Amino acid sequence: MVIPFNGRLGELERAVMDHLWDTCDADPAATVTVRDLHEALEADRRLAYTTVMTVLDRLARKDLVVQERDGRAYRYRARAGRAAMTAALMHDALEDFAHDDRRTALVAFVDVASPDELEALRQALDRVRGS
Amino acid sequence: MTAGVLAVLAVVLAGPVPAGLARLPAFRRTPVAAVIVWQAVALAAVLAAVGAGLALATDRAWREDPGPLSAVVVLVAAGVAATVVVRLLACGHLVGTRIRARRRRFRSHVDLLAHRDRERPGVLVVEHDAPVAYCLPAMAASRVVVSTGTIRLLSSAELDAVIAHERAHVRGRHDLVLEAFSVIQRAFPRWVASRAALDEVSVLVEVLADRAAVRRHGSDPVAHALVALAAGDGTSTAAEGVGLDLRGSGRTALARVGLLGRASRPVRDAVQSAALVTAAAALLVLPTVLVVRPWLASLAG
Repeated sequence: MVIPFNGRLGELERAVMDHLWDTCDADPAATVTVRDLHEALEADRRLAYTTVMTVLDRLARKDLVVQERDGRAYRYRARAGRAAMTAALMHDALEDFAHDDRRTALVAFVDVASPDELEALRQALDRVRGS
Repeated sequence: MTAGVLAVLAVVLAGPVPAGLARLPAFRRTPVAAVIVWQAVALAAVLAAVGAGLALATDRAWREDPGPLSAVVVLVAAGVAATVVVRLLACGHLVGTRIRARRRRFRSHVDLLAHRDRERPGVLVVEHDAPVAYCLPAMAASRVVVSTGTIRLLSSAELDAVIAHERAHVRGRHDLVLEAFSVIQRAFPRWVASRAALDEVSVLVEVLADRAAVRRHGSDPVAHALVALAAGDGTSTAAEGVGLDLRGSGRTALARVGLLGRASRPVRDAVQSAALVTAAAALLVLPTVLVVRPWLASLAG
């Protein structure tokens, strides 16, 4: 039922992002060309140059990659580092859980409790243990 | 006559009935039956409201000598029926597209940032200290996501219980139940107890998923995981860890832990389930048989 990744394109997107994030972690301002990426990715698989362009295009549309014009070519970098994007993802997820109207995209395991609620929760937990 | 009965039914089912149902926590002991009752009440209320409008409109329009007053009544009554339908459809579209767009975004980011858990197939792990666990529902490719903070905070049995809970949400498509009540709440935010319905159904689907987790892992790990994740890692909650102030939304957790602590009473619960499902069926069938059929017959005659 749970299918983690959406096939070859998804796997390639991951490989591209991993490369861009590694670049970004080393130097946040560094950019790469399609050729750089193609060479790096070809080490592990056979891959058309245009496929790399397609993947970068998709990632740019998903707002994960920033495209910068450099003369006639484009240079690419991750919009933010891996840690920053993870933090943003967590922030979005927690904000989604907190939506008071519950028109939520995610289904959280549990809401965040206030200190009073936590005290009541711990007492209720003691009763579960006792039963 | 038909219109009057249906209008009263619609008002009662939209206001007092959901408000009253929400104050009956005993129903949470039989969550499947309770969800069925909530769905039947919502559907019956909508059908009765639309039916009342149509019945009144046709009653006037079919008269031998419809005067100007009749024309106004027909327009107003048909307008009410149309408003209910159009509002539901429009909000359904709005809520649906918004939710699906957000899920697509979450999914693409999670797939790139998370890695698969080695021991738990199908579980995605996000590298972050804030403890969270959630599922991303989808038609074919749902994801269960936990953070490394959650893995550190919970024992292995508790983590398994959390994952069983999330998988139950995914399997049961609880998101669709919630989405339907979200649409109603959005379409009719006032004069209708749509808020009470949404809040209570939200609790019920959590209780349902908790039950599924308890069946596999026992009530202790589920209760412990609930309290641990609601509390965070001891120093700060998950929300504070990413700079959000979200205190005071943990109402459902208390109800759920309370239910986990109750002794089971299979016979009483089975009787309650049967009674609730029967009531739900009656709610949908009786108005049709007693009110709508004579009305249709009168139209034909």
